[in-house]
Amino acid sequence: MKPIRVWIGTLGLDQHEVGATAVARLLRDAGMEVVYAGRFNLPPGIVKAAAEEDVDVIGLSCHSWEYLEYIDELMQLLRQRDLNVPVVVGGSVITAGDDRLLREKGVAAVFGPTAPVEDIPAAIRRLVPAS
Amino acid sequence: MPDSKIPPKPFYRPEDTAGISYAEALNDPGVYPYTRGRRPRQGGAAWIQRELSGEGEPARTNAQFKYLIEKGAMGLDVIGDTPTMALLDPDHPAAAHAVGTQGVSLCSLDDYLVLYDDLALDDLTISNSLPPTFAIAGLYEAATTRGIDPARLRGSTVQAPFYCEDCGYATHMPFKLRLRLAADAIEFAAREMPKFHAFLEDTYYISEGGLDPVEEMALGFIEIRYLIRELLRRGLPIDGFAPRIAILVNCRMDFFAEIAKIRATRRLFARMLREEFGAQDPRSLAVVIASHTSGLSLTAQQPVNNVIRGAVQSLALVLAGVQAIEISGFDEAFRTPSPEAHLVGLRTQQIVQLETDLPKVADPLGGSYYVESLTNETEERVRAMVARIESMGDPAALCDDGWFRAVLQDATERYARDLQEGTRMQVGVNVLRVPPQEDTLLREVAEQKIAPCRERIEAVRAFKRSRDATRLRSALDDIRAACAGSDNLMPHIISAMRACATTGEISGVMRMAYGSSYDPFGMVEPPA
Repeated sequence: MKPIRVWIGTLGLDQHEVGATAVARLLRDAGMEVVYAGRFNLPPGIVKAAAEEDVDVIGLSCHSWEYLEYIDELMQLLRQRDLNVPVVVGGSVITAGDDRLLREKGVAAVFGPTAPVEDIPAAIRRLVPAS
Repeated sequence: MPDSKIPPKPFYRPEDTAGISYAEALNDPGVYPYTRGRRPRQGGAAWIQRELSGEGEPARTNAQFKYLIEKGAMGLDVIGDTPTMALLDPDHPAAAHAVGTQGVSLCSLDDYLVLYDDLALDDLTISNSLPPTFAIAGLYEAATTRGIDPARLRGSTVQAPFYCEDCGYATHMPFKLRLRLAADAIEFAAREMPKFHAFLEDTYYISEGGLDPVEEMALGFIEIRYLIRELLRRGLPIDGFAPRIAILVNCRMDFFAEIAKIRATRRLFARMLREEFGAQDPRSLAVVIASHTSGLSLTAQQPVNNVIRGAVQSLALVLAGVQAIEISGFDEAFRTPSPEAHLVGLRTQQIVQLETDLPKVADPLGGSYYVESLTNETEERVRAMVARIESMGDPAALCDDGWFRAVLQDATERYARDLQEGTRMQVGVNVLRVPPQEDTLLREVAEQKIAPCRERIEAVRAFKRSRDATRLRSALDDIRAACAGSDNLMPHIISAMRACATTGEISGVMRMAYGSSYDPFGMVEPPA
C-alpha cells in the first residue's frame, strides 16, 4: 500500500511556520509522505502543486486570518481543475464559528487550537480511501 | 552541537558555588561583569513597562498608543503587519488579505508621521519590531519634522540579518544586503540618534519555535559578534557603537533557567566585549536587556490561565533585573492582542511593581547556590556553543546554507514531540484538560477578529498616483546608484522617502541592485 501523500504549507504572507513544521513531523512519524511547501503559498500555486505532486490531501496551517479570504478561491480552483483532493485546515486562529463556515465551504476537516494534535493523522486516514 | 540541557539536582550545596569569586564573577549591581544587574537600582525605579501593539492603518495604531500610555505604559513597542514586515506595500496583490490584521501597515514617510503624531517622542522609549532601516528613517524624520532633536530619541529597533528569513520576518533580500542595511542603520543611528538602541538583538522571536535558553543565547551571540566584527571592519571604534547594543530575550515557564539565562547573558556580554573586542566604556559592557514573555508558553485552552503564566514570567524577569518587560496577551494563542489583553499585561507589571516588595532590592537571588551554579553552567554552555558554531566556518555561509534553519526546525520538532509525549506538561493541553463546553471564560475576547484594512489599499494607490513621477524616478535611481557604491544607504533612503518612494519600491530596487528580483512573488513591476 503506498503511503498517504500530504501537501503542507501556510497561506499568503502568514509567516508563522512553527505549526506547519510540527504537523509535518507528526504526519511523517505516522508513516505519511509530506510534500512540505513552507510559507508564501497562494491558491493557484497550491492547486498546481497538488496536481503535479499527486497528493492525497492538502493541509493548510493557518495562523493569520488570511485563510478566511483565500479558502473560496482555493476550493473553486480545485473544482475547476476537477481535482478531488480533500482540504484539511488547522491552526491557532480558527474558532468554532470558523470551523462551521469552513465545512460549509467544503473543507474536509478542521483543527482549531484546542483540538488534540494526535487526532490529525487519524482524520487524514479517514479522508483517503485505502489505495 | 554541545549539549544545551542542564538537568537540575535535587538541591544545591556550597560546593556548587565553591569556585566563584565574588569580585570576578558577580560583583555589585552596576559593576563589571554586571552579572547582578546593569545599574545599582535606585529607590525602586521601575523597568519600562510596555505592550507590543499595532493594528490597522497608522492613525489607528496612534490611537492605540495613546490608550496604552493613558493606562500607564512607559514605552511603545510597535510591530508591523505581515506585508510591512516582508517589505511589501499594502497594494501588493499578495498583501490584500493581510493589511493591518497582525500589526500596523506602514509604507511611506507620511505613515510614520501619522504613527507618531502628537506623541512626546523625546519623553517615551520607542521600540519596534519593524523593518529596521525604514523604522529608523521614519522615526528620525518624525522627530526632525516636529523640531525634536533626534539625539534625544530613546528606544530600540530589531536588527536580524541572520535569522529574519527563517523566523517570520522574511525580507526576501540576500544576506549581503541584509548585513549592509543593518550595519548602515547602526552606524547612522550611533551618530544621529546616540541615545537610541539601533542594534537590538532579538532572541525572542528566534526561540519561539522551541530553542532552549542556551541555544537561544548562542544564536543571539553569533549574530551580535558577526555584526560587531562587521562594524569594526568598517573602522568604527568599539565604544562608538557598543553602548547602542541591547538584547530582547524570551521568557518561558522555566523560571530559574530564565533568570540564570539573563544573569549569564549580562556577564558573558561584558566579558566578551572587554576581553575579545577591547571595549572600555562601561556603557559598552553593561548590556541593556529587555524581555517579551513567551507566546509559545500560552495556550488556546482556558485562555484565563495565560494571565497566570504572564504573572509568573514577570516575576522571573523582575528578579532577573531587566530594563523593559512586555507580557504576551492572554489571547496571544488566537489573535493580535485585544485592548483587554494589553491592559492585563500592563496591570500585571504594575501590580508587581507597586504592590510587592520585589523591586526594592536588586538581584535578590544573587548568592543562591542554585542560581549561581545555573548561571555559571548557562554561561559556559552558551560560550561553548558559540565557539563550536564559529569553528564550523563563516556564520554567514552557515546562514545561506540553511544550517541555522535546520537547527530551528529541529527545536520546533523537539518541542512538539515533548508536548505530545508529555515530557513537557502544559495545563489544558496535555494534562488537566476540560471539555469545550466548560472552556468559556475570556473566550469571547480571545476569538474576536481584526478585518483586513481594505480602504488602506485604496488610499495607498491614490497616494502613489498623486506623486511627482520624475522626482520619484530620480530618487529610485539614486538608491540604485548608492547600492552600487559604498555610501551609507540611510541618507539615500531618507531622501527617497521624502520623495514619496515607498518601502516596497525602495526595497525592490535594492533587491535588484543585489541580483534578486524586484518582487519576491513575481507579481509587481518596478515603477516606470
